[in-house]
Parts: sequence; C-alpha cells; structure tokens
Amino acid sequence: MKRSLARRILFVSLVAVTAAGSAVGCSRSKTKAGAAEAGSFTIWDPYPQFDASSGWVQLLNKCGSDAGVTIKRTGFDTSDLTNKTLLAAQQANSPDVLIVDNPVVSTLAEAGVLTTTDEAKLDTSAAQPNLLAAGQLGGKTYGVPIGANTLALYYNKAVLQAAGVDVASVKDWASLTDALAKVTAAGKKGITFSAIGTEEGSFQFLPWFWGAGASLTALDSPQAVSALTLWVGWLTKGYAPNSVINNTQTTSWQEFATGQYAFAENGTWQLGNAKKAGFEYGIIPIPGIQGGTAPAPTGGEFVTIPVQKATERYATSAKLVACLTSTDNSYTTDTTLSYVAPTSAVQAKQVAAAPELKVWVDAVQAAKGRTSDNLGTKYPRISQPLWTAMQAALSGSKPAQDALTAAQATAAAAAK
Amino acid sequence: MTGKRTWWHTPVAIGLTAVMLFPIYWMINVSFTRGQDMRKSPPNWFPVHGTLDGYRAVLDQQLPYLGTSVVVGLGTVALTLILSAPAGYAMAKLRPAGGGVLSFVLLIAQMIPGVIMAMGFYAIYLAVGVVNTVPGLILADSTIAVPFGVLVFTAFMSGIPEELVEAAEIDGAGYLRTFWSIVLPLSRNAIVTVSLFAFLWAWSDFVFASTLDQGGDHQPITLGIYHYIGNNNQEWNAIMATAVVASIPATVLLLAAQRYVTAGVTAGAIKE
Amino acid sequence: MDHTTRRRARQQWAAWAFLAPVVVYLIVFYAYPLYRNLDLSLHDYTVRSFVQGGARFTGLDNYRAVLHDPSFAPALLHTAVFTLTSLAFQFAIGMALAVFFRQRFRLSGTLRALFLVPWLLPLIVSASTWSWMLNSDSGVVNSVLHTLGLSPINWLTSPSWSLASVTIANIWIGIPFNLVLLHSGLESIPANIEEAAALDGARPWQRFWWITFPLLRPVSAITLLLGLIYTLKVFDIIWIMTRGGPADSSTTLATWSYRLGFGNLLPAFSPGATVGNLLIVLALIFGLIYIRAQRRQNQP
Repeated sequence: MKRSLARRILFVSLVAVTAAGSAVGCSRSKTKAGAAEAGSFTIWDPYPQFDASSGWVQLLNKCGSDAGVTIKRTGFDTSDLTNKTLLAAQQANSPDVLIVDNPVVSTLAEAGVLTTTDEAKLDTSAAQPNLLAAGQLGGKTYGVPIGANTLALYYNKAVLQAAGVDVASVKDWASLTDALAKVTAAGKKGITFSAIGTEEGSFQFLPWFWGAGASLTALDSPQAVSALTLWVGWLTKGYAPNSVINNTQTTSWQEFATGQYAFAENGTWQLGNAKKAGFEYGIIPIPGIQGGTAPAPTGGEFVTIPVQKATERYATSAKLVACLTSTDNSYTTDTTLSYVAPTSAVQAKQVAAAPELKVWVDAVQAAKGRTSDNLGTKYPRISQPLWTAMQAALSGSKPAQDALTAAQATAAAAAK
Repeated sequence: MTGKRTWWHTPVAIGLTAVMLFPIYWMINVSFTRGQDMRKSPPNWFPVHGTLDGYRAVLDQQLPYLGTSVVVGLGTVALTLILSAPAGYAMAKLRPAGGGVLSFVLLIAQMIPGVIMAMGFYAIYLAVGVVNTVPGLILADSTIAVPFGVLVFTAFMSGIPEELVEAAEIDGAGYLRTFWSIVLPLSRNAIVTVSLFAFLWAWSDFVFASTLDQGGDHQPITLGIYHYIGNNNQEWNAIMATAVVASIPATVLLLAAQRYVTAGVTAGAIKE
Repeated sequence: MDHTTRRRARQQWAAWAFLAPVVVYLIVFYAYPLYRNLDLSLHDYTVRSFVQGGARFTGLDNYRAVLHDPSFAPALLHTAVFTLTSLAFQFAIGMALAVFFRQRFRLSGTLRALFLVPWLLPLIVSASTWSWMLNSDSGVVNSVLHTLGLSPINWLTSPSWSLASVTIANIWIGIPFNLVLLHSGLESIPANIEEAAALDGARPWQRFWWITFPLLRPVSAITLLLGLIYTLKVFDIIWIMTRGGPADSSTTLATWSYRLGFGNLLPAFSPGATVGNLLIVLALIFGLIYIRAQRRQNQP
C-alpha cells in the first residue's frame, strides 16, 4: 500500500516535469515563428526616462509606421546597455536598431555586433567629421550620430558679482584659480565637478587634460600632471568640495543648483535644469591652460544597425535610421534631448531658434571624440587607469605624478 | 516572566526601531525635497519648501509596476513553498542516502553570484521562449529562495518529535499523508519565515528583472525606478518617492504576516 | 530483518520522490550557470569571441593572472575585513534584538515587523540613501558631527573610511535577516526549560548563556553560514556607495569581479568570471567547515 503511494508520487513528479518541459517546448516553436514576424522591429535605446507617452517614443512609432512596420522599443540604463547587447548578440537576439553611447561603438564594432554604414547603406555625409570619428574603427563607420553634447562651465552671476569677479577675465587656468580664490574668500564655494571613479569622471577630466596639451597615449607626461595638479590644488585649498570624488554629473549639478557655487562643469543636457534653477546663470567654454578653448570630449549617442541573420531586414532598419536622423526629425529629437545636432544645417536652425545655444554649438565643433585618433577599443583600457589615478590623487593616497605614472604603466600593459 | 519590570520595554523598543529606520525617514525626507535643496549644506531635517512632484510622477506612472511586483512576489512565495517544503520534509524525516551531498549542493547553489545566474538563464529562457514574461521572472526569483527554503524547512522539521511521525505511521498514514496532515501544520513558523524571505527577495530583486524582463510588457518596480534614471539626469525625489510608495503595500503585508506568526506560535506550541 | 530492510527501501524511494523536483530544479538552474562561469574562466573571452564564439582555451592562465594581480591581495583583505566585521555585528545585534523582542510587550510584534522594512527597498534606494547621509558636504551625519563640535569625516571619499562606511551600511541591511532567523529559533525553544532554570535561581544572563544559546546552536550555525555566503556575494551596496574606491580602498572580490565583467566600457568576462569562481571556492571552504562541524556534533 505505502510502497505504491511512494511510487505514485515519483511518477506524478516525473509526469509533471515532463509536461512542463513539453509545454515549454511547444511555446519555443511558437516563439521562433513569432520572432520572424515580418512586421515587428525592435529598437533599443539608453533613454529609460522616456516612456510610451513621450515625444521620443512617438517619433519612433511614427518612423515605424512610415516604414510600414510596428516598433517594439525598450529603454535601458546606459551603463548596462553594452553588456545586454553583447549577451543578446551572442544568442542571436540583437535588436534591429540600437542607439548607444559613442565611446562604446568601437567596442561593439570590434565584437562584430554592428554592421558598417556601407553594409546597411546609411548616409553619413552630412554629419560633422569630428563627431563621426567616435563611431569609426579601422577606416569604417559603424553608425550615425544622433546628436552631440559636450562640457562647458556654468557660472552663477550673483555669486561672481558679490565676490567682485568679472567673468570676462576668466580666460585661462591662472585667472580661473584666482576667481575661485576670490569667491571662497567672499564666503561662497568655488567650483563643482564630477571626479567619480567611472567613465563620467574621465569625461569631466578630459577638457583639462587636453587643455594642458596632454595626450591619452602618455598619461604621465608633465602636461597631464599639471592638469591633475590643478584639480588637487583646488581640493586642498577648499575651492572645490571633497564630495567631487564621489559626485556624478547629476550630483555635481545639484550642488550648483543650491546657489552656493560660482562655477560648475557640466553639459548641454543641463540647460533645461539651468532655466529652472532660480538664479541667473551664464556659460563660458572651459579655458585651456594658457588661454583659448580647451577641447572637450563629445557625448551623445550613435544610431547603429546590429548584425542580423536575416539580412533582408537591413533595408527597413536603414529606413528607420534615416527617419530618426533626417533634418526635421533631428531638430525635434535634439531639442528634446537638449543635444546639439550633428549636422551644420540643423545646428544653424537650433541657433536661430535659441541664440544662447551658440556657445554650445561652437564647443561641439571644437570637441573631440574619446575614441578618435584611432584609439578605438584602447580607450576603455586607458580611461580606467586614468580615473583610478584621479581618485588616488584627489583622495590624497598618492601624489599626482606617482598616480599618473602608475596609470600609464597599467594602460600600456593593458593595451598590448 | 512578564509583568513586573516591562514598562520600559516598549519605549526602548520604539527607540531602537526609530534608530534602525532613520535611513527610511531620510529617504522620505528626500522624496519631498526640491531639486535645488538636494545638496544643501547643512541638509534640511524636514522638507521645508517641499514638493509633491516626485509623488505625482510616481502615482501617474508606477502603479502598474507595483501590481506586477506584487504578482511576482506572491508567485515566488507559492513556487518556493511548493518546491522546498516537501524537500525539507524528505531531508528531515525520511533520511535519504546522499542527503548530506544534497545539503552541500544546496549551499554551493547559493554561492553563485546573481549576475552569473542571470546570464546563464538568459540563454535558457531565449531557447525556451519565456524571456520577458512574468512566469519566467517568478521562476528566476525562486532560485534566490529555494535553496534557503529547503535548508530552513530541514532545520525546522528536524525539530518535530519522531514520536508524532511514528504515531501517524502506526495509524496507517502514508508519507504524503504524514507530510500534509502532521508535519506541515507544525511547521507554520518555517512556512512564514520562508515566505517572508522569498517575498522580500523577489520584491527587491533587480538583477533577474533587468536581464530577463527588460523588454516585457509587465515589469516590476525595480525596473520602474529606471524611469527616473535617465542617461544623463537622475530625478532623486521621484526615485525616493517610488521607493516609499513601493514599500507601503509590502509593509502592510509584513505586518499582517507577523500577526499570523504570533497566533500560530501560541496555538501550536508542542508540549513535551 | 527483512521487514526493516524493505521499510528502509520504501523510505528511500519516498524521500527521493519528494526530492525529485528540487533535484531537477538544481540541475537546470544552477549547474548550467556554474558551468558557463567555469567555461568563461578557462578561456580567453574577448568581446569578439564572446559574441562570435571560438575563444582560445587558456587553462589556468586566468587564475594565475588574477592571483598575481596587484589588486588581488588588497581585495582579499578587504573581503575578509568586510565579511567578518559585518557578520560579527549583524549577528550580535540581531541576537540582542531577538532576545529583547522575545518578551511579549506591547507593540513587540509590530515593531519587530517594522525592522524588516529595510529589506523591502531595492538596494539602489537603500545604498543611495546611505550615500546621501554620508556625503562629505551635504550629508546629515557630518552635520550632526558638526553640531557636536567634531570635525567632519570624509566617509565615502577617504581611503581610510570608505571600507568602514560600506560595512556600516551592510550591517544595517543584514540585521533583519539575523533578527528573523534567530527570533524564529528562539520561539521554538520550549519555555519550560528556562522557567525551570529560573526557578532554580539562575539569573537572566546565565540562563541565556548556558541554556538558551547552546539550544540555539543549530539555528545560529545556519544563520552565520548563510550570512557568510550572502555577505561574500555583496557588491551592490559597495558599488553604489563608493564603486570600490577611492583607489581600490573598498574593493572586495565581489566588486572586483563585477567591475571586470560589467563595470567598465570594455567588458573583460574571463577575468571577471575567474574572480567570481575564486569567491565561490572561498565560500565552499567555509561550507565544508560547517559540514564537518555538523557531522562532529551529530556523532554521539
């Protein structure tokens, strides 16, 4: 009696597992057929702040219906998107259109995840060369820039006035440091930026790095050391708060928004927030060490077409990309994202509608891609030791020269 | 035991709870704070010039996510109990050969980092077709709780006196009957403990949700929060408001569950 | 004799029948990811070979490289300090609270349930809240220190304090787990044993140390072991609060593994998997110690 009960249980469990397995197997064949459904195209983008009711998603749907297909769009956290894309590509589950941050394009290209613009028949002639460079590897282009942003110095007019600083006199590093000294002496805080141990930190450091004349292939040059020494000096003298070591660009902006700071290094995307700040603000380009404008790194995403087994899909994907980056749509998109357009025609339109954008347009035209100069996938291997060195020097655990020498050794070893 | 010097217990307990929950208070504080006061130095202990923007955004957008989280949480509890309670009974009372090895394997199973599990599941789920579905997420979240559940049930069920089990056997009950009518009712403590952890782990899971349900039509609240974490800007008052609103139904469930535990303990105490 | 053997056989059948679903579950859901992780660590997976396949087999080279990496020793040290300190405090505080809440005073049930609220929050929220509170310039902790006349501490940005800060946050998050398990264990101890001891004149502390605590040994052991395994895996809290910095001062094996595989622009899956496997081996060693201790205890 009892033995048969036990056997009964075993039998039932095995049946249950088998049943589950076959049910799931049935759905597998259904889904394989579903994925090949001609009418549905997937788009992945790094803008999770936009939901289905936003202008961005409506634009995607409109481009989809213009091309005769339905769009399935997913927004991802931008720092996650690379890994998700690699995982999906490994499983042959890549999206049809992928919008991704520009320094990552060369990594994905090297992994063989992206098609070239020749393969997908995309037209990149109108995009400005310095912006396009970030998406190029080995002489081939892998996507179209959707827009660009870059860094500049926001300043608080009231704070500068109270400290007796004329912003027009801030032309180079010496005059900037002087201004910070005056502001601090007047009881306010000098400057805030982001020096966090991630790509954001490197991004914020690069204008000063390049502004000193340093190059990413030699992290321990005297010019590089002078750039890092500038930041370390500000921290020790109290012109910049200690929290910069852990600040993201958002946190840094929040500090500026309290109205206690004279300067903030931040990007185009804060323009909307700047207008809401409640005090009068202005913008100056980041000065170079001896004067002039320091080259700032380009931010902004590229629209790419990942490799698919069913190559006949490229034609429709290309139509979607062209729709997203067309002149009219580019203007709407870049206004929503607070980006500067990648083509001179649309840039002119932006400046015509909002003259305060001229400073940003000029900055973008002078900007450099992080992966340009043929650095490609070497850039991540250089960026990480760079931000590690910044953190070590700013937190006082190593002097600037030692930190950068160690960083150069790591970068050189990793780049082999 | 009770009575005499216990008047101070409640105030001290309230004090301890207040200290423990202070970060929660701070979270609520931030959820009402305006953008320009976020990094004020020194910070406001109370949100003067508060704003309801965060809550407005949450109530407009996050309620479907909350619903999905509740479904996923309860589903994970059910699945975990169904899988782990019988296994715990077998390990505790039926002494299988190789039980020690199984215990060890269950321990190892919990050592695998969540991110590695998620990457492995992605391939399986794609092949099987359950990626971006709620049942798939429930299955994935249960892997966090099942080994723990088996270990807890084994530990608790071992404490049930052998005499009760043998008495049932003499009365003619089979193993299934013994499990269902005798062992399970006496394991109420373990059931509530395992359910609690399974629910909490599923509720706050991010790794599995992010890898396996990112494109789904129904997403849990841990993904819903990313509405406010844009590629360049984060809206902290909305993020904290989401967390506050998300905690309310779960807290209610928690308070209800603990009352059941107390009742269960006093009703089902085993007398020697 | 024959009857007993048959009975034992029947019992084995039944036992494995009950266990069958879990065994299948374990094989499908745990063995496969573990195998993939091992595979990642025994090859050299570049981003290209990760997607396209054909990674070069490198045997134990990755392990050798990781063990010789200058970040390994500090990461190991930080992992040990972080884990042991967290465990000690979580367990002690959890035990103290469990004993305290055992006495049935007004609101004890409700307050005990409220202690679990930290676990409801997604880690990004709790870790971010701690980041806010510990911010060097706008954090509430430093403003309290300032009011008390003490100088502010750079909790998250100073190499000397970063590990302490993440440990404090981790202890906070771990208390509910210890509280619930130890409390359930305490509830299962029959009250009459302690009542008898009290009648014999034993003081509360003596009752706890000589009677309650030993009876709680199985639950304590499993709580500590699980706490150890879970703490070894912790990376979200550290990652969100300090990213393992500044200058690797709060990097543990778990955050290092995550940083290698997922936390930078160029994923290095193989080294990341290697460090992850080393972490599993570490946890395995402790698991073996636990099993050995259990077996010794169960022998008469």
